[in-house]
Amino acid sequence: MKSAVKVIKEQLNHFYLIRRLSIYELKSKNKSNYLGMAWEVINPVIQILIYWLVFGSIRQRDKIEAAPDMEVPFITWLIAAFVLWIFFYQSTIQGSKSIYSRLRMLSKMNFPMSIIPNYVIFSQLYIHLFMLLITIIIFHLSEFYISVYYIQLIYFIFAAFCFIFAVSLIMSTLSTIVRDVHMFLNATLRMLLYLSPILWQIETLAPEPFPTILKLNPLYYLIEGYRAALFGTNWYLIENWHYTLYFWAVVIILFIFGSVLHIKFRRHFIDYL
Amino acid sequence: MDKAIRVRNITKKYKLYKSTKERLLDMITPKSYGEDFYALADVSFEAEKGDIVGFIGINGSGKSTLSNIIAGIVPETSGTVEVNGQASLIAVSSGLKGDLSGRDNIELKCLMLGFTKEEIKELEPKIIEFSELEQFIDQPVKSYSSGMKSRLGFAISVTVNPDILIIDEALSVGDKAFAEKSLSKMKEFKEHGKTMIFVSHSLGQMKEFCEKILWLEYGLVKDFGTVEEVIPKYEEFLREFKTMNKKEREAYRNEAMKLQSKALKLN
Repeated sequence: MKSAVKVIKEQLNHFYLIRRLSIYELKSKNKSNYLGMAWEVINPVIQILIYWLVFGSIRQRDKIEAAPDMEVPFITWLIAAFVLWIFFYQSTIQGSKSIYSRLRMLSKMNFPMSIIPNYVIFSQLYIHLFMLLITIIIFHLSEFYISVYYIQLIYFIFAAFCFIFAVSLIMSTLSTIVRDVHMFLNATLRMLLYLSPILWQIETLAPEPFPTILKLNPLYYLIEGYRAALFGTNWYLIENWHYTLYFWAVVIILFIFGSVLHIKFRRHFIDYL
Repeated sequence: MDKAIRVRNITKKYKLYKSTKERLLDMITPKSYGEDFYALADVSFEAEKGDIVGFIGINGSGKSTLSNIIAGIVPETSGTVEVNGQASLIAVSSGLKGDLSGRDNIELKCLMLGFTKEEIKELEPKIIEFSELEQFIDQPVKSYSSGMKSRLGFAISVTVNPDILIIDEALSVGDKAFAEKSLSKMKEFKEHGKTMIFVSHSLGQMKEFCEKILWLEYGLVKDFGTVEEVIPKYEEFLREFKTMNKKEREAYRNEAMKLQSKALKLN
């Protein structure tokens, strides 16, 4: 518990540092490409197009049921989830390798290292917000207009951020100690894409108890929340309040575990390089 | 007088593994695998405020490890280090990000050192001026020569005004003019009563600059005293060491290792 408080305090006390460092993070990553930051958008767009072509044609361009009595085009249904998936995937991967790849840069051991995964995720958040803006424009072009349900989008972005940070805190520590963890994470995330309701609707394709088991994945909650907000179907976090409680319980447990692990090992990170 | 640095019974242990398998077994099983290697064994020394201490010793004697521990970059295995004030280590091209420009690196580095926005704004022009990088300051650091990199690193470290400055072979890469400028900056520090640690193989620079010498050998303190006392002994040793053949050197090393394990047992 003490470690968790310490980690939270470090985030709050160094918020300016996190903001500045996250901007440098974006800058240094894209400086050597001619198109620069545009790649952060081009990349996911290409991926979405591929998945749309493949999964769209498997479904024979059928519409998909986003809510009872609400059929939506597959592409919009896909984008709503994929924009979150890209944020989750990139931040977790980058967050996982954040500490060991930056340790050499640190000139001080008393640097608050727990902010390293945070500022890496923060730099992804800028991209995510931009992507979300594009998504909203696409939704308006497809005649899904802004509604009061958009308010819960703010909540879900925050929830996604907390979940990603908790996961990254664990992964960044583990992969500093054992580098293979990063590889393992990479493979697991690829699999997770298919175990989440991003490309296909789990409820309609698999019989019980699979949908319930797959709902244990906190990503499921976030994805459905994003969809509910963007399509304006319901107040997902309230209507599924059991699920909301479950999600935060998972996040808090992961975060406490990650903090304990981080605080315990961070003094010796440099010895593992 | 105040003590600036107090190092007590510092030991730094590294583990040498023959394979990754050993490393893994060591991590997950309680049994110890791999060979212990002591980079530092029971090292103690003190420096007064305003002292300029030189670390000497042949390669692998633990000079850099000790300076890294004092700077707070590497944790010690056992023992205590007390450092009075902010220590700043200058090593060749330490912690610069290649993709970013020199200017960005300055801000990044200052942020990492915990400076606020206003302080950085004030420091930046001074650093740029001292580094003499001129139009290169907006070029990515990866295009810099090693001399330029160490100039930038040195400029950042001296301008942020640390209480204790640790210089690890950083001056050997710059050209003569810059080395002189750095030396004069360090003399200025000396006048201000700052504590400095100097790690170098250049005995000439040591003689000119340092007051005390810490002679390390295979992780042990061989001698600690004033320049006049220690440097002649070290020079004598170097002459002897040079004439030794491989076998004699090995015997010498084994002798030192025995001393090392004795020191560790006493601990």
